[in-house]
Amino acid sequence: MTSAVDKAALAKRPVMPRTARILGFAALALALGVAMPWLVSSKLTLSLTTQAIVDALLATSVGFLVLQNGRVSFGQAAFFGLGGYAFGVLVARQLVAPEVAFLLALALPTLVAFLLGLVFARIAGVAHAMLTLAVGQAFYEIAFRWRELAKGDDGMSFELPQRIFGFASSSLQDPAVMVVVAWSALVLALAGLALFVNSRIGQIAAAVRDNEERARFIGHDTAIPPAIVYAIAAFLAALAGLLQATYNGYIAPQMFHWSLSGTALIMAVVGGAQFIVGPAIGAVCFFFLKDFAGRFAEFWPAIVGTVLVAVTLLMPQGMVGLAFRLWAARRSKP
Amino acid sequence: MAIQLLNGVVYGGLLYLLAVGLVLIFGLREVVNFAHGALFMLGSYVGYTLAASGQWWLGLLVSVVFMAAVGCVLDALVFRSLRKHDHIVTVLITFGLLLILETVVTVTWGKAYLSYPVPKLLAGTVEIAGSPFPIYRLFIIAVSLLVAAGLAAWLRFTRMGLYVRAASTNAHVTSIQGIDVDRLSLVVVGLGTALAGLSGVVAGPLLTLSPTMGNYILIDSFIVVVIGGLGSFGGAFIAALLIGQIHNLGAIYLPWAATMLPFLLMIGILIWRPTGFAGSRT
Amino acid sequence: MSANLAIQGLGVERRYGGFRALKGVDIAVKRGEIRGLIGPNGAGKSTLIDVLSGRVRGQPGKVLLDGKDISALKPQERRRLGLARSFQRTNIFPALSVEQQLRIASWAVTDAGIEEVMAELNLTALARTPAAEISYGDQRRLDLALALVGRPSVLLLDEPAAGLTVEESHGLATILRDLANRWNVTVLLVEHDMQVVFSICDGITVLHLGQTLAEGGVAEIRADKRVVTAYLGTEA
Repeated sequence: MTSAVDKAALAKRPVMPRTARILGFAALALALGVAMPWLVSSKLTLSLTTQAIVDALLATSVGFLVLQNGRVSFGQAAFFGLGGYAFGVLVARQLVAPEVAFLLALALPTLVAFLLGLVFARIAGVAHAMLTLAVGQAFYEIAFRWRELAKGDDGMSFELPQRIFGFASSSLQDPAVMVVVAWSALVLALAGLALFVNSRIGQIAAAVRDNEERARFIGHDTAIPPAIVYAIAAFLAALAGLLQATYNGYIAPQMFHWSLSGTALIMAVVGGAQFIVGPAIGAVCFFFLKDFAGRFAEFWPAIVGTVLVAVTLLMPQGMVGLAFRLWAARRSKP
Repeated sequence: MAIQLLNGVVYGGLLYLLAVGLVLIFGLREVVNFAHGALFMLGSYVGYTLAASGQWWLGLLVSVVFMAAVGCVLDALVFRSLRKHDHIVTVLITFGLLLILETVVTVTWGKAYLSYPVPKLLAGTVEIAGSPFPIYRLFIIAVSLLVAAGLAAWLRFTRMGLYVRAASTNAHVTSIQGIDVDRLSLVVVGLGTALAGLSGVVAGPLLTLSPTMGNYILIDSFIVVVIGGLGSFGGAFIAALLIGQIHNLGAIYLPWAATMLPFLLMIGILIWRPTGFAGSRT
Repeated sequence: MSANLAIQGLGVERRYGGFRALKGVDIAVKRGEIRGLIGPNGAGKSTLIDVLSGRVRGQPGKVLLDGKDISALKPQERRRLGLARSFQRTNIFPALSVEQQLRIASWAVTDAGIEEVMAELNLTALARTPAAEISYGDQRRLDLALALVGRPSVLLLDEPAAGLTVEESHGLATILRDLANRWNVTVLLVEHDMQVVFSICDGITVLHLGQTLAEGGVAEIRADKRVVTAYLGTEA
């Protein structure tokens, strides 16, 4: 298995939070989110935060595949792009009601990922990385070449309909509103993942990740649970893509590109893919570090690369893993 | 038609030069080198500096030598210490290297697209089947054929080549026989990287130079390596020619499907025989 | 006749490329019996266990569980019908705690009682420890425990004592004998330690070069000239 999934570390995590605790944290975080526009007045900061949250959702998606299936994907942006494109194209052409487009943009990538997951789950390691890379790029090529779909290479701007789900949709392009929507989506996503990990299917998926053969020999079907994990991960990526497309009113093939998948993977690994919240924390840190690095922007990829190499070699459990270790060390001192 | 076939061979030849480097490095170090495209790009830029001032051939030589040295350093400092790590870790590390190399090039040469001169000796065209064909493209075909022949001879007739073949088939063979794997792989990784430099310079006049020029061709050479059967030198040669043809003929006759076809081939092969790739054995 | 047979293999064949690992083996184990399956390396013992448990398909050959043909069933389906197995190479879930993996195993069966299984196999104290961190001997017992969850009717054991010290393997044999009796489990046991086989088995089947060489009670087999030449050697 991957050492990105350090086995001992996985089991050594503090006792899994129970449902009540998870929901309590989630409620608290949601309240904080709703208060955000009142606490922060700068539109720019709110807008940046929205972007950071979208990144966090995508990173969470990639990290969850590592956590629960032990699979490293270089093509998760495919579902990000699919979510954005499904919404953008359907809305721009007014093929269906905007609410239906919204739901299809989430359902379609989820279904595709479930079906792909039935096959992909059986393929491990570098082969899986290559496979997802190829699938992601295949989607990219379609978006890039198919000009009639959404103007190919140029990308496509689209107008949101007046109202969606009864709300004025222009508010979805207001950072003060979108930041709350995106934050709530992220919080609910993380809480949902925590509940899933504790569920039966989640635990069977973990058993399959650990030892697929033995999972069969203790009596479990091993195709469906990992495929469900693929579907959930794709749902989160699609949600991120949908939010971004809605917020910007713009879709472009870059949403599918493997460099986006790779970036999300880096954020997940640096944050700590063995933890549900690790990738999101990694993404947010990266986002604000990048903003902060401003005048060194030229060197940014090298900074990311160096951080990735250092983290992979020196702290394979990422930032969250390091934080846990430091906390445990402090606690064990008198 | 003949011209189009030849163009396919040109691109196939370039892919071969890159893919065979990947195969060499993978065979010895079991590293799937995501930085290979960036090395190709770096080699291209190194050669460019001299080529732009009229010293094309010197640029080629310097780039090959410089990249060989880079390869040796990479092997000694990075790949050697990654031996005990999981394959996925090495993928992440080489991905990090890719980003670092891109930045180095961006900072040194800038982001702007640069165009590469064709050496004077190889300028002009010849007539093939009634159409003009650039001499330079014939040169690319010649270079890749020469490398393929030289490599085949080296693998077949030399002691070192024998070891490399043994190591590519089974990583444990060489360690059992008490061969100095570190020394061997210094040479092999150096060679693979030098080939990336060679193809970078040779490809230069065909492509436009940019810090991300390696990404596209990297994925194509991954496809070649996978289709050729990982670790197979002959397979890489045939697959490179195949992808070259698909790339070129497809772009003319089936522009929509052409870019998809290599991916679909790769996906099919990975699903059909995933164990070809190390790292699948967990 | 088959009314009191727990598991049967009929004319089981299996080839790997050109190599015929099993050349038409018949085996029938009575309900409640502990049957030893012995023979030199390459005799086809593990392959027979693999065919019976569904890890590989017999080609051709039939597998009957309680008289019912299960040849076409997947391993997980066989397990849910009460046919469990352990592995020669420790085959557990390294990242999961002892208790968690036993609980996951219990979801596939009825009458789980994982606390009881842990207690019987001395794993209770390790319940919350990740399997990767417990000792090798404990891992072997965990492997067995995973197979015992839900009190299977038939247990196929492929060298459960592989790699254990003499004391450990004899301790394991005692537990096995005791549990098989109390829980009424039929056992087919591949084992190289003849001390273990002779002490706990009711009957023995000897495989040699993919065929049944002999079958009978313990004393009978120990006295069988062909078995002694082919496998046991002079020391037995």
